[in-house]
Amino acid sequence: MLSYIIRRLLLMVVTLFGVSIAIFLLLRIVPGNIADILFDSAGLIDPAEKKKIVADLGLDLPLPMQYAQWIGGLLRGDLGFSYVSEKPVIDEILPRIPITARLAGFAMLFSITMGVPLGVISAVRQNSGTDYGLRILSLSGLSLPSFWLGLLILMAFVHYSGTIPIYDRNASGWNWWMLQLIPAAAVGFRSAALIMRLTRSSMLEVLRQDYVRTARSKGLSDGAVTYDHALRNAVLPVITVIGVEAAFLMGGLIVTETVFNIPGVARFLVEAIRWRDYPMVQNLVMFIAFVVVTVNLLVDLAYMLVDPRIRYGS
Amino acid sequence: MGRRATSIAIACLLAISTAATGAFAQKSGGLLRVTHRDNPPSASIHEEATISTDMPFMAVFNNLVVFEYGARQNRLEQIAPDLATSWALSNEDRTLTFQLRDGVKWHDGKPFTSADVKCTWDTVTGKVDGKMRKNPHKTWWFNIKEITVNGPREVVFHLKEPQPSLLVMLAGGFSPVYPCHVTAAQMRTAPIGTGPFKFAEFKQNESIKLVRNPDYWKPGRPYLDGIEYTIIPNRSTAILAQQAGKFDLSLTGEIPPELVKEIQAAVPEMQCLVQPSNTQGNLLVNRERPPFDDARVRRAMALAIDRKAFSDILSRGVYNIGGAMLAPPEGLWGWSPEYMAAIPGYGADVEKSREEGRKIMRELGYGPDKMMPLKVSTRNVASYRDASVILIDHLKTVFIQAELEPLDSSVWYARLLKKDYSVGMNVQGTGIDDPDVMFFENYLCGSERNYTSYCNPELEKLFHQQSQMKDQDARRKIVWEIDRRLQEDGARPVVFQSQGGTCWWPQVKGLKLAVNSIYNHWRFEDVWLDR
Amino acid sequence: MKTGFWNDVAYLARRYPLGVAGAIIMTVFVLAAIFAGTVAPLDPFTTNPKASLAKPGGTYLMGADMMGRDVFSRMIHGARISLAVSIGATFLGSGLGAALGLASGYIGGMFDLLVQRVAEIMQSLPLLVMALVITASLGPSLPNTIIAIAIPLIPNVARVIRSNVLSLREMPFVEAAKATGMSEFRIAVVHVLPNTLAPLIVLATAQLGSTILTEASLSFLGLGVPEPWPSWGRMLSESAAEYVRTAPWLVIFPGLAISLIVFGTNLLGDALRDALDPRQRD
Repeated sequence: MLSYIIRRLLLMVVTLFGVSIAIFLLLRIVPGNIADILFDSAGLIDPAEKKKIVADLGLDLPLPMQYAQWIGGLLRGDLGFSYVSEKPVIDEILPRIPITARLAGFAMLFSITMGVPLGVISAVRQNSGTDYGLRILSLSGLSLPSFWLGLLILMAFVHYSGTIPIYDRNASGWNWWMLQLIPAAAVGFRSAALIMRLTRSSMLEVLRQDYVRTARSKGLSDGAVTYDHALRNAVLPVITVIGVEAAFLMGGLIVTETVFNIPGVARFLVEAIRWRDYPMVQNLVMFIAFVVVTVNLLVDLAYMLVDPRIRYGS
Repeated sequence: MGRRATSIAIACLLAISTAATGAFAQKSGGLLRVTHRDNPPSASIHEEATISTDMPFMAVFNNLVVFEYGARQNRLEQIAPDLATSWALSNEDRTLTFQLRDGVKWHDGKPFTSADVKCTWDTVTGKVDGKMRKNPHKTWWFNIKEITVNGPREVVFHLKEPQPSLLVMLAGGFSPVYPCHVTAAQMRTAPIGTGPFKFAEFKQNESIKLVRNPDYWKPGRPYLDGIEYTIIPNRSTAILAQQAGKFDLSLTGEIPPELVKEIQAAVPEMQCLVQPSNTQGNLLVNRERPPFDDARVRRAMALAIDRKAFSDILSRGVYNIGGAMLAPPEGLWGWSPEYMAAIPGYGADVEKSREEGRKIMRELGYGPDKMMPLKVSTRNVASYRDASVILIDHLKTVFIQAELEPLDSSVWYARLLKKDYSVGMNVQGTGIDDPDVMFFENYLCGSERNYTSYCNPELEKLFHQQSQMKDQDARRKIVWEIDRRLQEDGARPVVFQSQGGTCWWPQVKGLKLAVNSIYNHWRFEDVWLDR
Repeated sequence: MKTGFWNDVAYLARRYPLGVAGAIIMTVFVLAAIFAGTVAPLDPFTTNPKASLAKPGGTYLMGADMMGRDVFSRMIHGARISLAVSIGATFLGSGLGAALGLASGYIGGMFDLLVQRVAEIMQSLPLLVMALVITASLGPSLPNTIIAIAIPLIPNVARVIRSNVLSLREMPFVEAAKATGMSEFRIAVVHVLPNTLAPLIVLATAQLGSTILTEASLSFLGLGVPEPWPSWGRMLSESAAEYVRTAPWLVIFPGLAISLIVFGTNLLGDALRDALDPRQRD
């Protein structure tokens, strides 16, 4: 077990190293750099000033040098300086992380509390009207574009209550909870649908197992059998979905943060790409990759704990 | 330079009169909440050419002079004192002398003097390296020879030629007086001014906050405690949020005319003004690249354009139709409708123009079975793309089969400046409704923003001639002619002149917007909240 | 013969009613896409100021958009673009992913380790970030949109196929083939590949729907297939969303189409999974 974890941690470092090279090169392939954008959008260019910025940013250095500079700084904990906001990158990223983390956390919470019970119900009542209804609901969760769901929610609120659940820094109490949960539901709708589908199918499998049949034949009530096993069996699909969605969630977050005007890292990343704010994009992507890789590791470890049959070898 | 025989003194009464009339009802206090469409590139007005910077930060500053607040149009005849209490022309209108206000302090407590004025314009004219990264309005000041000071309360602009429009440019929102003692880097992030509001906070992609300047030189102003701009890039969200009462005012010019109607239908008490947003759609044709080096091709393309269709589709007929200069009744310098009707491509019978265009193309060997292939490049922004789609559809009528090439903003401007495009659709703004601003910035041979490399030395002489004219009515005649020849030559066909809406709840009082520019009335010193 | 065929259909319809419904939905959309030129009553590109935001009915069955273009005709032509994007991206992504997964699972060793790392790197880069970067550098166009959407699909498919191959490799029939002296490459293609098809098909149908949604999200962010080409995602996003209260038909129809096709692919995918994966059989 320990040697497995150590091996995985080493591989994690390799992956992150790969990500750093990938994002570094990808950004350099994209035409236009920060200096171009800062100057060109105004329509007038002072070539001398532009040269100065290019030199300041080290954009005239050979690529390996630029890369070494960035990674060297990153390892020392220096994330560099954003020429768009003229602030250290860390000052821009740090306050935004909790906002997105909360949104993602609540979204996951929402998807689990919705997905698991509905999945169990759907499996127990297999092929009933309830089952079909729930399956169609879950499919609609997978077929609704997330920005569209967000806009519909906003419009419904404005129309029926005259309020709008967009981000408000000063919100407190009940209002704060609403402003957290509504966008989280918009993000989590998709994962909820996925969890429900997976819970349903793994439940169905269990219900067919011999020991369940035995338990039933012994006269144990349906309820006792199903709900006893329900929880145990819900754990796997939940873990799977967390693993699958960790990378995918980012897309939903970008769109939802845009629609609900939440100043988190996801939307900020899109903005930073648009401005070719190299240090900002590179470090943000590294951070996201770190989260994804860590989640993947935790998911695998969780599999091991939950299902002892899975063994990771040499 | 002692002769002042020809000097004209312009009286200033406004500061006193507004204080008198404003005594009865205004309430003090309150935070004005405004929506904002995107993250401003920086907080430095002199370094940016966008409303995103101009509107939120104008209230931090004062100018030398300003357009009279509440006048229907921004114009030379209605200019009021600001940091300058009076001004006078001398030396055959080549010397402009300003007397400066006493006792004005910068927000950091340092006194304001004539040195600050000299410093500001020495920087924007490029005489002194003020460490500004960009200087988008440099062409405005081409006529300034030198700036001198005469004690701390007098500053003198020495001009190469007489130029009445100089005052107009000084009165615009893009001409604040900057402090000498503050670095350009700080002006981009946390600007210091003399204005009614102090800069408080600029959170990237989130919000901009200004607070009341308690030491403002104008007694009793401003009324508001502060102004907060919330950046909401998604327009649907912004509009819904304002409708829900989260915001008092929208970023100016951002709401399309059709949506203004929708908002007013949903919330009848909402106050809205739809006005020209000082931007125009231009068809850019690269005249150095074959086959567009052939004037006949360019002409056929220009003939295919149905300007009324653009206006109808993009705004249900609200957009003005005109040339380079903003059309009346809002604009001061655009053609009268009668004058316009006689200009090729502006006539009512579009089909006739298009038939002529087809004839040209047939002579060149094209036809319904042999369409000319073409790529229309444009910036990947909705307003640009929409216009391009209509353009592509219109070009089909003269046997041109075009395809759209949407480009990232950075790439787009870089390619324009390098002239690396064949045909482009551009939307472009001008800060002030003034011929000098328009012609010298965009149509001078070799000027940086002359994207199509149009060059006509004969017309250039007229640019200078109109610039020096004092009689504004006679000047208008020449401006009309210049504009007509620009359109006839297909220098950069103007396809539409956009309008945009600004909406505010009735509790916002004292907001008065001029109709011919969106850039110049955001000082907010007379605005108050009735809540 | 004929009765036999119809019997089969009837059997399938009874056994997998939702799956057949999904197949019918898919077929209708695919036919509309193939015969777009004949089905669409009007040219999808022609603007008409007089018809701007025309209500549904009459000439404009589903109304007209801001530019006066017929929504119905754009929907039909949009099916072509949207299906091209989703099928193209799914094929490309699944194909490359399957090839990589097969190779890495079968060859194993260093190659496997390398492929696994690359897959993990690709998974760690957020999908929309990749798409943003790809469309920004290659420029928005139909092929580039397909590429941008396909690339993030590769690692998922590769992983599933790889784990499948790993278990297949130990199967008796593979051992037997080895004993007969068959070349490794032939074993991989003849014996292993066909056995991975079932999970591949299930995975691909699930992705068919999600790629349409990805295209819609890209359009929302101003990327994706450029104007004036109609794609359902583009029709639904941006200006259409702003005019939703005055002209709801601009978003209802493309929105319905997206939901329906995603719905259809998922129903079909569910049924295929049940049919091809006996353990899941209800």
